[in-house]
Amino acid sequence: MSIAVTTKGFRRTRRDRLEVPLKLTFPLWVIGSVLLVLFPIYLIFMVSFAPGSALFGERPQLVVTNYTLQPWKDVFQTGGIMSPLVKSLFVASATTVLAIIIAAPAAYVISRLRPAIRYTVVIGLLVTRMFPEFTIGISVATQFAKWGLLDTYIGLILAHLIGSLPFIAWILVGTFETIPIDLEEAAHIDGASRMGTLIRVVFPIAAGGIAVASLFVWLYSWNEFLYARLMTTNQLTLPLKVFQAIDRGSSQEMATVAAILTLPIVLIVYFLQRYLRPGALTGAVKG
Amino acid sequence: MGTAEATAVRAATQPSRRRPGWFRRHRFEIALITPLVAYIVLLTIVPIIDTFRRSLSAPGTGFGTLKSYQAIFHGFSWTDWTIFERAIFNTVIVAVLSLALEVSIGLAIALALNVAFFGRGFVRTVTLVPLGVPTIVSGAVMLLIFQRSGYLNSVMALFTNLLDKIPGVHLTWQNVSWQVAGGWRTLLTIAIADMWKVLPVITLIFLAGLQSIPQDVYEAADVDGATKWQRFVRVTLPLLIPYFTMALILRAIDAFRIFELALVLAGGVEPVLGTYISSKYLPPVSDPYTSSAASIVLFGIIMLFIILYLKFVARFQVQR
Repeated sequence: MSIAVTTKGFRRTRRDRLEVPLKLTFPLWVIGSVLLVLFPIYLIFMVSFAPGSALFGERPQLVVTNYTLQPWKDVFQTGGIMSPLVKSLFVASATTVLAIIIAAPAAYVISRLRPAIRYTVVIGLLVTRMFPEFTIGISVATQFAKWGLLDTYIGLILAHLIGSLPFIAWILVGTFETIPIDLEEAAHIDGASRMGTLIRVVFPIAAGGIAVASLFVWLYSWNEFLYARLMTTNQLTLPLKVFQAIDRGSSQEMATVAAILTLPIVLIVYFLQRYLRPGALTGAVKG
Repeated sequence: MGTAEATAVRAATQPSRRRPGWFRRHRFEIALITPLVAYIVLLTIVPIIDTFRRSLSAPGTGFGTLKSYQAIFHGFSWTDWTIFERAIFNTVIVAVLSLALEVSIGLAIALALNVAFFGRGFVRTVTLVPLGVPTIVSGAVMLLIFQRSGYLNSVMALFTNLLDKIPGVHLTWQNVSWQVAGGWRTLLTIAIADMWKVLPVITLIFLAGLQSIPQDVYEAADVDGATKWQRFVRVTLPLLIPYFTMALILRAIDAFRIFELALVLAGGVEPVLGTYISSKYLPPVSDPYTSSAASIVLFGIIMLFIILYLKFVARFQVQR
């Protein structure tokens, strides 16, 4: 009884002046955020289906009613999109496979180091990823030019591995850390070799983490622009094709190529969202 | 047996019972980690050293000259800036503007997402979508939005027309050329484009921060009769400080590397470090020496932030 009285004594006596305005503006706040995020994405797809008449003039229409497939037809029939599309698809996939093959075993070793050393190594990987690409890329591109690797698939794959390896190794260290060492000891007692343990026990358990990490690497390579620009003279990748369209194409061509580049990503991110951790992304995305 | 004797005996018998050497015991681990280490050394460390060496070289004189650095700075004066100094200045301005926008809008969205409401899951997913959008695409979209007959003018016109419907209010919208004008307006469009691009990351960082604040702190504040504003200023913000530091330093590192957006939105008008380096390196200029010197300056700036990162963020980020 007495407790109830005391609690009552603590109840707020004055009203919170922000209470009502916050309640009223909250929906606007949320809707505003959603619009801010979605409007540009809507715009790419909308413009790629818009007839020319809707785009020109002082104020282009925000909503287009008479959609047309013409920009898409143009891009696929005469726009020369196939070669960049194939190059981007191939380079991204090859980069992913190689990144896993090189980084996964190393990440396993790092995850089994003593905590103090492991911490230092992981920080080292993070710092490697922060180095500006230009400082690395200028030298690599000059060297690749001498070796005739400009414009080749292999040259770009090697360049994309520079950015992917520390990143994927870092993610995978986190994955392998969660796998108890007892499992390996059990496999050892059952007579498995160390390589056998790794391939039959550790990697299968880590498959989920490896899959997510490889999707990140695939996305990185698919989006990558800077190395591609330094190492390409005429065999464009898809991001370079977007830049070419920005430089000298129509709005519709630009929007259509951009939409082709964006579509797989929006889908992947939508399905991957529950794996997204802020730490994993801060270096994956840059301005 | 005395201690000395025992030691001598032990030393004498040691070789026969010696465990295999460190390298032999760790053969397996070394074999697994070597490809990664080799790759990072050959294609990250060596190129950086090579760029540094080239930045100190010149076509005529060979190694050991500061010519390239003198070329990009050529005698600093406050009134007469070289294009490179202009590029540094612009990069800093863009970084500061975009950081300010990101942190405020990212925090606003995170605060909204931290409240339970109908459709929160959907909104959360939606705010993450720009994450995957390629930077070059966000550049293309921002061009559509900010160019002279672009969509920002359409949106502004739409709003002013709505306001104009209110009796007694007369407004019309004059088209503004946002992006090609050069100067502050162009830099602001780059900052806004950058903000849109990384909003999801910042929102995630702040959301993680907000969710790390224990509920009883707020209950204590409520018992003391704190208003919503006091709760925000005296409880939420102070407890978010580590997350602010993390967002600021990580984003600063990325903001100095900004390239695609500046290339698309301000290519010919306002240089930033990235576009300066690429324009020097690529044809028609094709000058590996100046571009190396410029990229070493960029490297120096980034290293500065990496040191801050190691000091303030690394432990926090890795051990979480």
